[in-house]
Amino acid sequence: MLNIKEIHELIKAIDESTIDEFVYENEGVSLKLKKHEAGTVQVMQQAPAAPVQAQAPQAVQPQAQQAAAPAQEAPKQDENLHKITSPMVGTFYASSSPEAGPYVTAGSKVNENTVVCIVEAMKLFNEIEAEVKGEIVEVLVENGQLVEYGQPLFLVKAE
Amino acid sequence: MRSTLRKDLIELFSQAGNEFISGQKISDALGCSRTAVWKHIEELRKEGYEVEAVRRKGYRLIKKPGKLSESEIRFGLKTEVMGQHLIYHDVLSSTQKTAHELANNNAPEGTLVVADKQTAGRGRMSRVWHSQEGNGVWMSLILRPDIPLQKTPQLTLLAAVAVVQGIEEAAGIQTDIKWPNDILINGKKTVGILTEMQAEEDRVRSVIIGIGINVNQQPNDFPDELKDIATSLSQAAGEKIDRAGVIQHILLCFEKRYRDYMTHGFTPIKLLWESYALGIGTNMRARTLNGTFYGKALGIDDEGVLLLETNEGIKKIYSADIELG
Repeated sequence: MLNIKEIHELIKAIDESTIDEFVYENEGVSLKLKKHEAGTVQVMQQAPAAPVQAQAPQAVQPQAQQAAAPAQEAPKQDENLHKITSPMVGTFYASSSPEAGPYVTAGSKVNENTVVCIVEAMKLFNEIEAEVKGEIVEVLVENGQLVEYGQPLFLVKAE
Repeated sequence: MRSTLRKDLIELFSQAGNEFISGQKISDALGCSRTAVWKHIEELRKEGYEVEAVRRKGYRLIKKPGKLSESEIRFGLKTEVMGQHLIYHDVLSSTQKTAHELANNNAPEGTLVVADKQTAGRGRMSRVWHSQEGNGVWMSLILRPDIPLQKTPQLTLLAAVAVVQGIEEAAGIQTDIKWPNDILINGKKTVGILTEMQAEEDRVRSVIIGIGINVNQQPNDFPDELKDIATSLSQAAGEKIDRAGVIQHILLCFEKRYRDYMTHGFTPIKLLWESYALGIGTNMRARTLNGTFYGKALGIDDEGVLLLETNEGIKKIYSADIELG
């Protein structure tokens, strides 16, 4: 599956090109990028697991972000997925130290008190707990990424 | 019971100062027999206290031990909350780990965990913190602040301000803060602060502030890789520093600043922080996991975020290792 960075690069490349529509399919993932008449880019990604939170590059804001919104809304089968969101602005750490493995990955079973990641700002390390029992379906952010208040970090299939 | 009696006895000696207190007065105040008083004084002596006993006059405390102990930290502690619930151990793997366990078992705000030595002291991201010798202050303070979750990083800057002020009062040494809360003397690291939070939904359950202070280390006490970048209060002062005094002054300063913060918000803390901070108005390098940024430090914003004026505009720094100059 394409990662966010690759999608960003694709959007940028298409935005700067004369291509109106771009379709990518691989291993059940389909990505469709389409320009409106106004020349903006529309992002639609449908994955069997869950949608990637697509952040449009600045060049195509804000129209592209609005266009991206439908992609963020989970398709029907994902409606009961629980989102673990960040309670503060800070750096996302998937593990307790650079040497250690991540707290959780897609497929990990969690309960309410399982620590799933750390969000840090000004050297305050906030251990984020799942707060729901179930299985991690997708990790939406990368280690070291700056996350915003309320930004979804994980999708969990609640039991 | 035993520790309560001991605490009261120390409090009595503390109030009496240089004066003698009669055995009868002590036994009345503590509500125990004079034989029990004598036993407790014997225990204090075993801890290294020198207690003078004079017939018809009573007892007088002459000298406190240089060694860290629970009594030593309590003796003369002027706080109301911070450190009043005190957990002291000669050796712990890490005070932060013990504080976590206590916090999970409903330890009250102000609970302080202190160890003379740590066998597995750690900094952020599980980095090793050198704290094996009994010559530093290794402690963790539990807070339960009723503040919005996104404001909690401000507490790490508050802690830095309290430590700078406490060190100045205890040892007369001026220290500097490097964003967000490293404390340096002549550019060398003296204090590290690690803050960890547990929260549920939007409510803070506990904030644990771990503070490691190099107090009496001499250059040869540091491992080779730290020799050029670390120093201690004793090296700056040119004399041995009383560790219990450092703890007490920091706790008192922390209590005052914490009260200011709860009443007036972050502004008074921010002003103090900026007055102690190194490199504001000068160029610095911020190494983050998303690249290194170079620019002029403009100060911090109302959340404690470092504002760096780079060629690409003002960059907000939430997490970074800072290199000055």
